[in-house]
Amino acid sequence: MELKDILKEEGIVGVISQYEFSLDLNKKVSSIEIKNRDKAFQMVNLPNNIKEKYLQDLTLSELFKIDLISKLDEEIIIIGNISGCLNFKEAEFIKKLLLKLVTVYHKKIIVIDSSVQTFFNLVKKIVVINGKNILYETDNFYDDDLYKYAKIPKIIEFVKFVNQDKKRINKTTDIHELIKDIYRSVS
Amino acid sequence: MKTSVTILSTNLNKNILKNYPHYYIIDGNFLMEDLLKYSQVIFWHSLNNKGEEEIKKIYQFLNNNQIDFINVTNNSEEALLTNYLIIYDRDKILIEGNTLEVLKEEKLLKRLGISLPFMVELSLLLKDYDLIKDIYLDYEKLEGALWN
Repeated sequence: MELKDILKEEGIVGVISQYEFSLDLNKKVSSIEIKNRDKAFQMVNLPNNIKEKYLQDLTLSELFKIDLISKLDEEIIIIGNISGCLNFKEAEFIKKLLLKLVTVYHKKIIVIDSSVQTFFNLVKKIVVINGKNILYETDNFYDDDLYKYAKIPKIIEFVKFVNQDKKRINKTTDIHELIKDIYRSVS
Repeated sequence: MKTSVTILSTNLNKNILKNYPHYYIIDGNFLMEDLLKYSQVIFWHSLNNKGEEEIKKIYQFLNNNQIDFINVTNNSEEALLTNYLIIYDRDKILIEGNTLEVLKEEKLLKRLGISLPFMVELSLLLKDYDLIKDIYLDYEKLEGALWN
């Protein structure tokens, strides 16, 4: 099985795995093939002054964005390590952009990350792979078996903890929903 | 320099490592035994994929062997595992000090796009609603403060 085989239709699938950039870090940004370079840079908020830099001198955030825009034309866009490269504001921005690529441009996207939290409000399915084998797949962030393969996000761990003896709060992945629920529960 | 430090930033490049010339840089996978070769190590985003318990074990190992360490990460949860925290914005130190005190600088961190550790953010929000008085890092203690 190839990675792209797990995504049959348009949409975004999350894959729990490590991701390494396939970019050659000894190259200059200007030598990376990117269609509509100026527009692409604008789309991901990359400054023009990095064009003459070597990839190895970029921040992880800049490297992530170069990796993404170099793949926009591919049939299936495979990107990864949002959690390791982007701050939370950038991650939210990129998630919105990925969702737009799906809804407006009907793209198929595979997001590889070791953090399940990256997939909140983004993917319709989470897949755990080992090499070429699918070990597990689920669409439920509260699926206990998922966490045999990945770190459990703190919010999910906390909700499970306070509900272990008695159901106090609803399952959520949104901290503001959690606060409202706690408020209702303790009042 | 403290012996166990987290550097938290989301926009660093490796140039800042020049500020720590005596530290051996670990930027990929490593074996614990290999760490014994060095007296000072700096993890460059190389603990990101490890669980909290595994990182605690590594820190314990380093402490037991008197190896100074710095963990460079953009994951604020990892910051809670050392007592000293430095926040960088590109190549400048913006703030440093006791981890919890630094993490209370919520506005500064959010301006930089750094999220607070879940329990710190949850505690601060619950404090805003007058539901608790302190910051809790422990689930059981927070549960006790809320429901008992």
